Amino acid sequence: MSDVEMKKGAEEKNKQRSDFLTGNDAAALAIRDVNYDVMGYYPITPSTELPEALSMMQANGDHEISMVPGDGEHGAAGICYGASLGGGRVINATSANGLLYSIEQLPVQSGTRSPMVLNLVARTVSGPLNIRCDHSDLYFTLNTGWLILLARDPQAVYDLNIAAVKISEHPDVRLPIIVCFDGFFTSHQKRLIHVFENGDTIKTFVGKPNTPITALDPKNPATFGAYMNDPDMINNKKQHSLAMEAARRVIPEVLHELEELTGRSYPILDAYHMEDAEYAVILLNSAAETAKEVADQLREKGQKVGVLSPNVIRPFPADEFRKALKNVKAIVVGDRGDSYGADGGNMSLEIRAALQRDPDNKTVVLSRIYGLGGRDFYDDDAEAFFELAQNSSNAIAFDYYGTYKGEPDRNPPKGMPPIKAEEVTRSMAKVTKNAETGKLDVELEPLWAMSDVKSRIAPGHGACPGCGIFPMLHQMYRVLEGDLVILFHTGCGMVVTTGYPKTAHRITYIHNLFQNGAATLSGLVEMYYERVRRGELPESSDITFLMFSGDGGMDIGMGPAIGAANRNHRMIIIEYDNQGYMNTGSQLSYSTPMGHRTTTSEVGSVGSGKNFHHKDTAQIFSACHLPYVFTASEGFPEDLMRKVAKAQWYAKREGLVYGKIMSFCPLNWGVRDDAGQPVMQAAIDCCFFPLYEVEKGHTTISYDPDILGTRIPAINWFKQMGKTKHLAKPKNADIIKSFETEVDRRWKRLKAMHEHEEL
Amino acid sequence: MNEKVTLPNSKKFFGIRFESIGGLGAHAAGKILATTAVLRMGLNGAHFSSYGSEKKGSVVRSFIRLAPAEKLIRSSAPIESPDVIVVFHSALLKNPATIAGMKAGGVLIYNGSESDEIPEIFSQLPSTTKIIRVDAQRIAVEEKSRPNAVLLGTLTATVPFIDFSILLESFSEEFSQRHPEAVASNEKAFRRGAKEIDRLSNIGKGTDDLPIMRADPVWGYENAPIGGVLPLPGNTVHNDLTVSRMGWLPLFHKDKCIHCGMCDMVCPDFCLVWKAADNNEVHLQGVDYRYCKGCLRCVETCPTGALTREIETPGMADKHRVKLFPELEGGA
Repeated sequence: MSDVEMKKGAEEKNKQRSDFLTGNDAAALAIRDVNYDVMGYYPITPSTELPEALSMMQANGDHEISMVPGDGEHGAAGICYGASLGGGRVINATSANGLLYSIEQLPVQSGTRSPMVLNLVARTVSGPLNIRCDHSDLYFTLNTGWLILLARDPQAVYDLNIAAVKISEHPDVRLPIIVCFDGFFTSHQKRLIHVFENGDTIKTFVGKPNTPITALDPKNPATFGAYMNDPDMINNKKQHSLAMEAARRVIPEVLHELEELTGRSYPILDAYHMEDAEYAVILLNSAAETAKEVADQLREKGQKVGVLSPNVIRPFPADEFRKALKNVKAIVVGDRGDSYGADGGNMSLEIRAALQRDPDNKTVVLSRIYGLGGRDFYDDDAEAFFELAQNSSNAIAFDYYGTYKGEPDRNPPKGMPPIKAEEVTRSMAKVTKNAETGKLDVELEPLWAMSDVKSRIAPGHGACPGCGIFPMLHQMYRVLEGDLVILFHTGCGMVVTTGYPKTAHRITYIHNLFQNGAATLSGLVEMYYERVRRGELPESSDITFLMFSGDGGMDIGMGPAIGAANRNHRMIIIEYDNQGYMNTGSQLSYSTPMGHRTTTSEVGSVGSGKNFHHKDTAQIFSACHLPYVFTASEGFPEDLMRKVAKAQWYAKREGLVYGKIMSFCPLNWGVRDDAGQPVMQAAIDCCFFPLYEVEKGHTTISYDPDILGTRIPAINWFKQMGKTKHLAKPKNADIIKSFETEVDRRWKRLKAMHEHEEL
Repeated sequence: MNEKVTLPNSKKFFGIRFESIGGLGAHAAGKILATTAVLRMGLNGAHFSSYGSEKKGSVVRSFIRLAPAEKLIRSSAPIESPDVIVVFHSALLKNPATIAGMKAGGVLIYNGSESDEIPEIFSQLPSTTKIIRVDAQRIAVEEKSRPNAVLLGTLTATVPFIDFSILLESFSEEFSQRHPEAVASNEKAFRRGAKEIDRLSNIGKGTDDLPIMRADPVWGYENAPIGGVLPLPGNTVHNDLTVSRMGWLPLFHKDKCIHCGMCDMVCPDFCLVWKAADNNEVHLQGVDYRYCKGCLRCVETCPTGALTREIETPGMADKHRVKLFPELEGGA
């Protein structure tokens, strides 16, 4: 073959096509074609679409990446670390507090020089909780020892995901790498981009991974993670620092190779209209593109303005900044995240530090914190920054931009009056201790008599029509007496009741992120009893403490919940189980039943829903030997209310109570909003969700479909829901069989305990 | 397949904004329209929606920014001065923000019925705005489709460069992948959306583009309690969730009610109104539709037929509403 023919052949093979993709879609496509071995992940908005898109592709046989859903981001990072020690390729995606929950693993990964790629879809770090974009999460990664690339638009997300693999694995570097792009602005915005028609182009570009020493090579045993004190540690860190220095050379090389393949160029520091610029605005990612648009307009008016925005910030391009700013009179550095008390966000501080090394530099640097919590960056905001740069002489060096002072007479709508304890203490469920059995008896008033008990939660919340969380709360509040203090884990119940500046809760309410609610509430419980003991609070205040979590919070928050249970604090933990992470759009939870479709257990030509069995949280807590554990369903109100009344009795006197309550989710179960009762009845009648209680270690089944003659095969339940329709197909018979066998095994075990006087 | 289309002004962006409620399919419709414009009409484009959490019934805006193929699209910000606004639910027209920034000479399409009054805020529109009414809700119900199918059809009839057959083709392809059984009914809804339109005239009284609206938050940094603490228990009672209903509501028939309280156990919206009766019982008085999202779980649960599923007609909720908190509305 002649050179020309070979080139033509390569061009044909490396052909690109146009597509219209979001940043998350673009990342997923690149990830598919890199053909990673393992993805450890835990869904968190706005990065969730990335594993979702990969799950859909997997269900249709489009890739064979082993996708492992972690129990939380910390677990996901651990999965990634372990996988990367095995010598193959590893990918993850996360955002905000997910990143922070995993962050102690990041220096472990980089310090032991284990390459992998992490897509960081930038989102505001809580609290207060906010799901939209800023760079407060990104700034936490600056000291983790990872390489950091910035992707300003979906095209860059695609391209840099390809380059990242090669940079990270380069023998002179061998460091994990972050590709960071803006949540929603880039992750969820569709743009016209160019992608390779044939995934082999990317596979050829990245080549095979070359890991000299792996943990999967028994013939060459090695110790990973030895204990290292001084004087060795500083030398280890020097190596790490040298690897960063090597990356300064390697990154442009790889980006140049990529440019040869794609035709798209990524300089370390993107400089726009900077050749003769006298004033410049410096921004990261999507906002920089808006500023370019405005710079064009100002240039037409004769203003000498430009925009700088780095594509790489670790290693930090200090030389490039010094050169670019040599003759610039003034700059405004916009930081989408503050380093509180440091007089500037991280980028402005690092740029100041870079310029300080040029004794001739006279650039005035103004630092502005902008766009926090997803506040949009419009053309006129960019204009304001350019104007500020051009009038820098009187401007203060550091300030917030885009804030609002407030007006003295402007306030949110008033709250409702507090509920007095006696208004909600009406003996709707009388609890007495049976002297003979030592267990509790409950006498429940008729439902109609409860209908005017004051509700501790107000209407006007924003839940979906038909949502099961609220009937559950309503039923519980009917029988719970006296003052309550409640804590909600992150989840639907939290988000839809507390959209600032409004709250549906009429009683004291706390939110903490779902990895830590049980510990938080246990701390409050202990503060309460301690302050009562010291006489600082009246003993008569008599508060009952409750925590509410979704089934998701009982994956990621399981550790602290078990800890609270083992310590046996006087509190109640309620898990509303709707079989998935519904607040973020229905990803699988460990409580999702086998075979059920979620957005991370997709159904397609080869995928048939979740591939492992549902978590049995009630039994896990039963094994903590609590005074009282129960299951209930909002579809069985009387049973639920009896159990909740007992729960309060035990939580006040003996210790921690755990209740798992099935909760209806019409949106993500794929049923009509009014189908709650029949669908939940079917889940109970097929014995998937047995109603029972474990009181002082003794198991009692509350509803036995075998005895009542109501037992049905699981398929009768599955037929009623969109998320399980596919299971009726003959090819899924094995899944149904496996599900029923497991359900029956657990049910029989429960019945045996019910019948045994010691269990 | 790649038909070259020309925008009205080759130098400027062309902005389309969908104003909707979660569940009506505005995001999906925006995605189909933008994808078609980019991959089949030779335009450059961007599409995105406003996001809260993943739930039905809350306000959703979807944005489509178009440009000639050679013009870069850089901004990720929402479209504040659109050339076209499509309103998916007429209740949104109570809020002036829905039509904010409407460009003079632009197109406003709204889902409304001939029998409804013309929304008051339309008088603010520039007189050059083309106002198009289509009864997307009725057509969608009749064709077992969704309003988004109808409104996409209407766009082809009112925005010259959006080609009817190209958009219909990609719309149908989208459905044939996921719901092949729904292609025919959605196509019918789309076609009717292109035909059954009313062009309203002599309504807008304005001359220039409508100003854009960026609302300040209620509190600012000088008066908000620190730490985001809300000392305002239960102030969601001031919300009005009427727009969350998708055409149905539960109607209460007092004569059939035995006041058993079953409905109260399943109602997620706490919108049933109870009152202590003389005989120590507690009696159901009716429904406060201000909070009712129309899930109809109460209807499904009622053992006596005292709550029935009804199509919501204009004025019906106001007529039958029983107020939970009359004191909140100044006795009104």
